[in-house]
Amino acid sequence: MPSEIITLQLGQCGNQIGFEFWKRLCLEHGISPSGVLEDFATDGLDRKDVFFYQADDDHYIPRAVLLDLEPRVINTIMTSAYSKLYNPENVYLSKHGGGAGNNWASGYSQGDKLQEEIFDIIDREADGSDSLEGFVLCHSIAGGTGSGMGSFLMERLADRYPKKLIQTYSVFPNQEEISDVVVQPYNSMLTLRRLITAADSVVVLDNTALNRIACDRLHLQNPTFTQINTLVSTIMSVSTTTLRYPSYMNNNLIGLTAPLIPTPQLHFLMTGYTPLTNDANLSNQAVNVRKTTVLDVMRRLLQPKNMMVSTGPDKTNHHCYISILNIIQGEVDPTQVHKSLQRIRERKLAQFIPWGPTSIQVALSRSSPYVQSSHRVSGLMLANHTSICSLFERALSQFDKLRKRGAFLDQFRREDIFKDDLSELDESREIVDGLVQEYEAATRVDYLEFSANRPSKSEGDTRSEEAKSVKSDI
Amino acid sequence: MSQHSKFTSCSSSSSNNNHSKHKDIKSLLPNFNEFIDGKDSLDNLDAFVSNAVQFIAMCPNAFNKQLPKSENECLQKIMQAMNARSTGGQQQPGQIFYEQYNDATESINEQRVRDMLANLLLCSVQDDSQLQLLLGDGSLLLPPHSSKSSLQSSSQHNGNGNGLRNGNSNGNSSGTSNSNSSGNTISYDPTQASVALGQQPIPNYMLELAKQQNIDVGDDIVQNAIYSFIGVQGKYLKKDVVTGRFKLDAAHAKQLSSGQSSLLLRLAELGYYHDQVKKYSNSSTGYNAMGSMGYAFMSRLKEELNDYHGQVAQLLDVVKRHRLGQLTDYANSDLDWLQQRQQAPLTLMKLITWYMRPLQRMQWLTKISNACQLRKGGELASVVYGFLNNGNPMLDKLANDLLSVCCVPLVHMISKWMLEGGIEDNHGEFFVESLAEVGADRLWHDKFRLRLSMIPSFISHELADKILKTGKCINFLREICKIEEAVKGRKELKHIIDNQVSHIFAFVPDTTWHAAIETCYAQTSKHVLDIMVGPHKLLVHLQGMRRYLLLGQGDFATIFIENIKDELVKLGSDIYSHDLSAMLDAALRGTNAQYDDPEILNHLDVVVKTPYPGDCGWDVISLQYTVRGPLATMLEPAMPTYKTLFKPLWRMKHMEFVLSTNIWKEQMGNAKALRALNNEIGKATYRLNLFTAEIMHFVHQMQYYVHFEVIECNWVELQKRMQEATALDDILDAHSKFLQAISIGCFVKDSTNKESHLGVVYDTIISLVNIQAQFYDDCFTELNARKEMAKIIAESEQSGRFGLTTVQKMERDQERKIFEQKVMTFCHTLEDTSSIYGKAVGGFLLALNSSTDPNLQLFGTRLDFNEYYKKRDTNLSKPLTFEHMRMSNVNGHTKSHSTGRYSMAPQL
Repeated sequence: MPSEIITLQLGQCGNQIGFEFWKRLCLEHGISPSGVLEDFATDGLDRKDVFFYQADDDHYIPRAVLLDLEPRVINTIMTSAYSKLYNPENVYLSKHGGGAGNNWASGYSQGDKLQEEIFDIIDREADGSDSLEGFVLCHSIAGGTGSGMGSFLMERLADRYPKKLIQTYSVFPNQEEISDVVVQPYNSMLTLRRLITAADSVVVLDNTALNRIACDRLHLQNPTFTQINTLVSTIMSVSTTTLRYPSYMNNNLIGLTAPLIPTPQLHFLMTGYTPLTNDANLSNQAVNVRKTTVLDVMRRLLQPKNMMVSTGPDKTNHHCYISILNIIQGEVDPTQVHKSLQRIRERKLAQFIPWGPTSIQVALSRSSPYVQSSHRVSGLMLANHTSICSLFERALSQFDKLRKRGAFLDQFRREDIFKDDLSELDESREIVDGLVQEYEAATRVDYLEFSANRPSKSEGDTRSEEAKSVKSDI
Repeated sequence: MSQHSKFTSCSSSSSNNNHSKHKDIKSLLPNFNEFIDGKDSLDNLDAFVSNAVQFIAMCPNAFNKQLPKSENECLQKIMQAMNARSTGGQQQPGQIFYEQYNDATESINEQRVRDMLANLLLCSVQDDSQLQLLLGDGSLLLPPHSSKSSLQSSSQHNGNGNGLRNGNSNGNSSGTSNSNSSGNTISYDPTQASVALGQQPIPNYMLELAKQQNIDVGDDIVQNAIYSFIGVQGKYLKKDVVTGRFKLDAAHAKQLSSGQSSLLLRLAELGYYHDQVKKYSNSSTGYNAMGSMGYAFMSRLKEELNDYHGQVAQLLDVVKRHRLGQLTDYANSDLDWLQQRQQAPLTLMKLITWYMRPLQRMQWLTKISNACQLRKGGELASVVYGFLNNGNPMLDKLANDLLSVCCVPLVHMISKWMLEGGIEDNHGEFFVESLAEVGADRLWHDKFRLRLSMIPSFISHELADKILKTGKCINFLREICKIEEAVKGRKELKHIIDNQVSHIFAFVPDTTWHAAIETCYAQTSKHVLDIMVGPHKLLVHLQGMRRYLLLGQGDFATIFIENIKDELVKLGSDIYSHDLSAMLDAALRGTNAQYDDPEILNHLDVVVKTPYPGDCGWDVISLQYTVRGPLATMLEPAMPTYKTLFKPLWRMKHMEFVLSTNIWKEQMGNAKALRALNNEIGKATYRLNLFTAEIMHFVHQMQYYVHFEVIECNWVELQKRMQEATALDDILDAHSKFLQAISIGCFVKDSTNKESHLGVVYDTIISLVNIQAQFYDDCFTELNARKEMAKIIAESEQSGRFGLTTVQKMERDQERKIFEQKVMTFCHTLEDTSSIYGKAVGGFLLALNSSTDPNLQLFGTRLDFNEYYKKRDTNLSKPLTFEHMRMSNVNGHTKSHSTGRYSMAPQL
């Protein structure tokens, strides 16, 4: 009867982080890799059926759908210890197995072609749940399958299940290293458009920031994918912890996201997690264990260096929090929470929007008794912060560079969606640009006025608006 | 000791060696007894006889009670006795004695002396103890005699009447009491009268005559005084009808000298107090103390009176004997003997010395019982307790005795109550009271209570409370839990409690009695606690109520609402509770509630109130937690509180549900669908979105505050106290405090208008749902119309015809205009609603900020964390309290900072 959530894992990246996520959930709920409940995990304090359901032999099966166009990652999963965990019917590999070749358009059109088979699986899962709350999509925005097919699926899901929430964990590419995928800016732009229009909430996982954190905070020289993905899985598991360990509030996805997202477009959420240690077998290097208090944790969560999104330096210091949700786990004295909030307010540690009431929401959550942590208190922040637009600005500028030269567009033209013209690309750019402007506007008191005017403006107007805002900002 | 000293002091004037001689006789007696037993020679007899003669001479009236036998009779008896006692076949000891006796007494000529001597011997033979008694008695009797004699002698010889003392007159008393009432003018050598032994006074018939008169007057006065001691009126002393005090009889007062009358009046005071005590000791007078403790008190008073009466009777006896002696003396006209006999008559002065002690005692008794009159039970004990610890040892002892006696019934009541839970209290004097009209269902909270006026002052409220609780626990176990289990070591405890009466009013409550009470309390309450927490799962039930009635189990509440959401929007009259219970079960099964104790879940029920017109499901459906059996007795009083608490919590959940599912989710979904209409409705939807966000923030903060800061924090506190609890009442106290704190935190029955502001906020949310639904309806109609239009155009294009007809176009434009109008109206409505909402929130914040409760103030600052409202509403930044001032300072500072930021921006 609970508010079930179906997880869709798309592409190489999506399946990898999904795999880590399920590993983590199994660990936290005391479920063995084969789906059998461990003997020690029968106290019933947790709620497993949001993410799992039970087979006839009572073993737990994740509500997960694994989709990929090439077999490599899924095969790895299916040969791992966790192979028996998943429902084999929910694992879908395209027949030809050639992948999408890091081409958004290819992924998108393959999604179109395969949609019946895919939606067979999704519909079956949806029907199998009593009151489906929504879908969680794991993917990257740069590749082919995750971005292209993901975009297609998002659009279809929004049509097919208009009353269900669509939340995504979207991995943004690392900006600091030169990608071997040359069309990455196109892919990103096209996916971003769908994330804006079709998804209800997007948890941004910025590879740039994840790598930085792995280097700086965890002292890893060359973090591997697995290590980065463990970070991701931590974020994913903690951000769903209030759903899995219910207490009095924020027990469903909507209760978690609704207060964070004021207007339909501003739904890109940043995350931050502290304390980050190697205890999740990230490395063998000793990181000294600090004393953690609620105030400590909440204060650190507000520090940009702990944010899992690299937003670049905010020179004008005008970006602000639209909303914050802190999920605090561990031994927390309830009275400490108020004090910390009060302190943060007095110290002005966080800057908030001027156009509406907002505050730091706190959700206290139990943590799994089966996972040992060396810290007394740990915290995850889900924040809606206007500076996230710098990420999109960056994507825009990279896109513009390619688009100006018209480079690498041939492979796109081959697919159906681009066979007439490339307007799809430009429309996407416009929408993403609109979002950037909206985030900029959200830093100002007159956000309401801006929003009202924006849609009526022509492209030229938007440009001038952009110019204006740039002028005033610099 | 006192008797001896009296003896010596009194007789010193007449004979200095009296005392030693008396001793000699005493020491001789054993010898004599040996002689009688025939073991020794009879040589001692001579010495004995001579000493005895001296003694007799000294104390002529030692035998005046019993001198019925003549010398011969005595001798015969002695001989018989001795012969009977002897065992050997020797010479008859009686015979030997007779010969010896004759030898020894040859020189004694006086028949009277011989008589007495023989009597003395007889006594010593017959019964040793009798002699001792005799001698002892004699010594007791001696002083009055001697003093009397001195009085008489002084009255005889003090002819000049100026009250001058004779040089050797004995004792000051006689001097002061010296009166010339006799009016005799006979002068006499005073030494003669006092050095009486062995001297023959000159017979003086005038003296005898005067003496005759004196006997009458003096004895009369003394007798009057003594009678007055026991409240009997006499010739001179009459009782005042009004006050009950003695006064001098007018007719006879003239016969008394002023000294005598004042003495008489003084003495009569004792009589007055005696009367008072008597009055208080009699239950029929209406001045007595009441109740069983009162009866104990009165019985004690009566005992005191009995003792007192005994003392007075002795006095009377002395007087009587004296008079008798005088009369017989007179008849015998044995002057020498007479002289000695008259040494010790009772005088008023002597009475004065005597009456001090009884007077004090009677006075205090009067005082105490006066304070106690018409009191009972603990009150009585408190009053008596007030007299305790007096510096006066006599009073201290007296009060102690009285209180001990009084407390016996009380202690019995306590032990019966604490060990058996029974109340035997016919007079309503026990400080625990059982209300007969209260049924067993309210046994724990209402059935028994303290009768505050009946708590003795030496029992602290705390102790009384413990005593109350102990008995209550026993009753509870027996009546409600049907457990008949005695306290461990009950007999020993009962013994201690019953027998250590005086411990109850010990100044420091650390006696064995108090320890026994403590033990009893601790054991019983622990027992009840164990039973409630153990088999009856009190703590689990409390947890259950917190989870379900206070909606602590969030997932359950959410799912339950989700399940019954169709019912919730129905009209109240269309809802049937049996439909709901199935849904409740489903919700319980589907959430983590399923892991809860099934016993707890069985108590949970969904109820439908009788709906008022216009009520919907949200208003009438509520959860209920039914407690049964012993738990009901415990928790019944808390249930209404839970009911009132459920309402705001439920309403908050309602609001959250409506906001997230009906408003926010719609907005998100429709935003995707209505993208095409963005140009027209963009402004409206943004306004809508932001307004929703504002409300959402408020409701979530509110919910967070109530659930987390109020309920959770207090729950933690409650749990802590439950762990520490030693008695059930600790838990219940903590629990009721918990509920009280939550009631305050949830603004239930708040004195300020917070509740009404909240009501406005909630109403706004409900109206927003409707406004929004209407708006989206219009939007979709428009959208569909446009699609239709587009389709028509497309079709017409396909069919080759040219576009639209003018009419169609006109219609479309018209519709479009109407739609735009509708959007405008919607914006206005929205604006109105949001201003209403803003006002309500402003008022609410103001109420919070001006509240004295720091928690509420903090909540106020949390609600306005980024000072959005404060910037808009100047009222909110007014310095209301110190805290506020401080906060507004911070505010002012940041304001300048933020404006600085804006002004800086262009320059960069």
